[in-house]
Amino acid sequence: MSAPVPAQSRQLILDRIGAATQSVKKDASQLADAYRALPRAYIRRGALSPAARIELMIERLREYDAEVVESTPAALPAAIAAQLKASGKRTFAAPEGLPAEWLAGGYNWKIDRGLSTAEIEEAEGVVTAATCGVADSGTIVLHHSPAEGRRVLTLLPDWHLCILRASQVVQTLPEYFDGCPQPPALVTTISGPSATADIEMTRIKGVHGPRFLHVILVRDEV
Amino acid sequence: MRASLFITCYNDTLYPETGRAVVSLLERLGVELEFHPKQTCCGQMHANTGFRAEAFSQAKRLVRLYQDTETVVVPSSSCVAMMREQYPGLIEELGNESLRKDFAALLPRVYELSEFLIDRLGVEDVGAWFPHRVTYHASCHGVRALHLGDRPYRLLAKVRSLQLAPLPNVDRCCGFGGTFSVKNAEVSSAMLAVKLQDVIATGATFCTALDNSCLMHLGGAMHRQYAGMKTIHMAQILASTEASPAEGVL
Amino acid sequence: MSAAVANHPVLDPTIAPSFPQAALTVLRNPQLRKNVAHAIDVIQAKRAKLVAEKTDWQELRTAASAIRMHAIENLGAYLEEFEAKCTAAGGVVHWAADAAEARRIVLDILRQENASDVIKIKTMTSGEIQLNPFLQAAGVNVFETDLAEIILQLGEQEPSHIVVPALHINRSQVREIFARTMGLKDLSDDPQELTNAARTYLRQKFLTVPTAISGANFFIAETGAVGVVESEGNGRMCLTLPRTMITLAGIEKVLPRFQDLEVTLQLLARSATGERMNPYNSIWTGVTPGDGPQRFHVVLLDNGRSSILTKPKERQTLKCIRCAACMNACPVYRQTGGHAYGSVYPGPIGAILTPQLMQMHHAQSLPFASSLCGACFEVCPVKINIPEVLLELRAQVVNQERKDLARFFDPMYLGLRVASLLFAWAWLFHASQFFGRIGIRLFTRKDGWIHSLPSVGGKWTQTRDLRGFPKQTFHGWWAARARQSSPASGKEAK
Repeated sequence: MSAPVPAQSRQLILDRIGAATQSVKKDASQLADAYRALPRAYIRRGALSPAARIELMIERLREYDAEVVESTPAALPAAIAAQLKASGKRTFAAPEGLPAEWLAGGYNWKIDRGLSTAEIEEAEGVVTAATCGVADSGTIVLHHSPAEGRRVLTLLPDWHLCILRASQVVQTLPEYFDGCPQPPALVTTISGPSATADIEMTRIKGVHGPRFLHVILVRDEV
Repeated sequence: MRASLFITCYNDTLYPETGRAVVSLLERLGVELEFHPKQTCCGQMHANTGFRAEAFSQAKRLVRLYQDTETVVVPSSSCVAMMREQYPGLIEELGNESLRKDFAALLPRVYELSEFLIDRLGVEDVGAWFPHRVTYHASCHGVRALHLGDRPYRLLAKVRSLQLAPLPNVDRCCGFGGTFSVKNAEVSSAMLAVKLQDVIATGATFCTALDNSCLMHLGGAMHRQYAGMKTIHMAQILASTEASPAEGVL
Repeated sequence: MSAAVANHPVLDPTIAPSFPQAALTVLRNPQLRKNVAHAIDVIQAKRAKLVAEKTDWQELRTAASAIRMHAIENLGAYLEEFEAKCTAAGGVVHWAADAAEARRIVLDILRQENASDVIKIKTMTSGEIQLNPFLQAAGVNVFETDLAEIILQLGEQEPSHIVVPALHINRSQVREIFARTMGLKDLSDDPQELTNAARTYLRQKFLTVPTAISGANFFIAETGAVGVVESEGNGRMCLTLPRTMITLAGIEKVLPRFQDLEVTLQLLARSATGERMNPYNSIWTGVTPGDGPQRFHVVLLDNGRSSILTKPKERQTLKCIRCAACMNACPVYRQTGGHAYGSVYPGPIGAILTPQLMQMHHAQSLPFASSLCGACFEVCPVKINIPEVLLELRAQVVNQERKDLARFFDPMYLGLRVASLLFAWAWLFHASQFFGRIGIRLFTRKDGWIHSLPSVGGKWTQTRDLRGFPKQTFHGWWAARARQSSPASGKEAK
């Protein structure tokens, strides 16, 4: 049997689908309405106070063995410096858009203006900002903006310091989605360091991706 | 209060003592019982084994039999589940409007035994006496199809001198599953072995349930293994009094 | 070290033994049964705790079920939207009508890229189309990168679960596999050490192999984005380091809008691994200059899904988001593990999906591999009424088989056909009880119990006794009592 021409398969599949859903599918004009009418009685907004929300975020991050320290905006550069010092590492990668005052002195900074994979491999750690924190699940969301960096930047180094502002923290996952003006092209969500439970269901940290996740929670809300 | 007893095909043939207990229990509670002599089967065995074509006539027959009956009591969760879960589809497919109406009117009037006692008669204490250590197995149809909830426990709690031993993993299937028990006999037996471990570990003398189907499976293994335990339908526990203890139980 | 090991050679529904037969082998393997039960108990306990904590769990299920059903019912429109948006973002979308075509498309892309090696993220869909052996035979080295998949690949075994594929293997078995294939003689069986060994083994692959194959958990129609849900980070490695990315997934994976992830992501991790959120989710849209693979292909796979779509009752099978909650809850799966199902999709979802993907030509024993307990439906995050579909498929299998003359004398078929006649008339039913009681006396021992029966009955008496038929039926007792109390009338209805 000869291989079908690609365009044929596309039409074949769409025709099959069309015939199968003839009695249930909506036409273009009704599709949006049908979508809007779908039941969504789940919790959209969390009921926690801002203070409780932050406490929950910190608690959940710590449950995943991420290290969390708090800071004020004024004390942030010092807090970053303290984390870098405590890590015992010397070489750090940073996204191009990371604020200059976060680049503590005395370290070998590799700013990503097009770093090769080999160069990123040499970095022992990476420092980035974040887009959002979801307290319910202790999740950090990255949109890979200039201050968050390319995806590979938060993947190869073994140690990731993430700066998360309190004003970026929401309680529920729907709140994160509600807060996106439009869907981003790239999203990575991080809920603790990488893990596997493939061997006897024992959760082991650090398969690939950073084994050490540190978060500075910046109290930027009055 | 009048009620009509649908005994179910397998209770009629294999566990008439359960039927006798239901009669004794309900009459003691002041229910005037009727028994339709033409009843046979609800069709579950056929519907569940893929012989759906044969189930239509059985469903229709049952609906016609009870269409003018005020209340139907059934000492079997699985048969009531059949009527609630599968009859709507079967009756719909038959496309007979008067049948559909009669069925829709009948369904709310059909009660599993514990539902009848608690919801319809409004009683928990049926005046029963059963001086033994008992564990209760929650059959899958009772739990997930009928949502019996705590009804069986409320009834057992009021039985005098009964010691209730809670069963771990109470919601886990015993492995009967109708013809599954023979079509997949080995897996069914593996599931039974696991269930039996939990049942025997309770140290109870009796294992009870609201379905003789599960009890036939559990009891059959107990007997084969000289397990030192017996099964008994809850109707027989509830019917048991000092004056008239459960049949065949010391 | 050779990676030229054919993956999943036996999980082919067209040649797998029937479930009852396959189950026999695993039932007699106590180590496997212990491993499976242990893994399941861990996930179930974690899941239960998190579900209890999530006060809107039922509302989430309702929403997810509605969203997925809406997507399935309007699949054509959403797939076309996805294709347009993905293409506009720099992706190349291919459509594969069946497994053979999907394999060919993937191989053609690899040839275009001159790729002799490829790294893979776990995807059951590639197992469904038997991709690995096909590529190996064509001279492409396939390197699995999921820890479970490496264990299986190096250990030359098949997956037994869709989320934790190696749950049937314990730590000392993993140690043995790694020590042997990675040449690590002093390796202990500590899971941390085993995991480190895998991490080291894979690092070089991630950094050097320029072509990757993935599956997809979701397609987003609104934006043309693809989503991969994972724990280990090997997905992120494969999605960002190579030059070329090929994503292969079933057409039913589509969600209408990005926002719909707010429902599915809350359900998926809790259902699959008992976590509030899995470590990493990656969502990408076509090609992003300077970040990740610059060549991106999506292969949309039909392979029987559109035929499932034609059936109103069975259509709900396609709502599945591959969380495996059903198999974790299933008391049958607990005893047999996944291999007995003869498919990369085992457990309750496998029992309905596999035969339907085969258009009911194979795997006909799977719909019967269930006691219909309903635990699967209770936990399914998208509310697939698996028991309802099982019953529907059983009827289809029986309708196929009853035409077969050989079946006419099959004791089960004969018995059930006769029984339906007996139930049609009360007098016939009563007569059959009477004669049945006489006949069964042949097998009833002095203790009043039956210990051994022939034919189908023998399957019962393998492990269970059966109490002998009582002398008097219930209806007989009722009639006698009525005659006693009032010889003329009787307490009989109508």
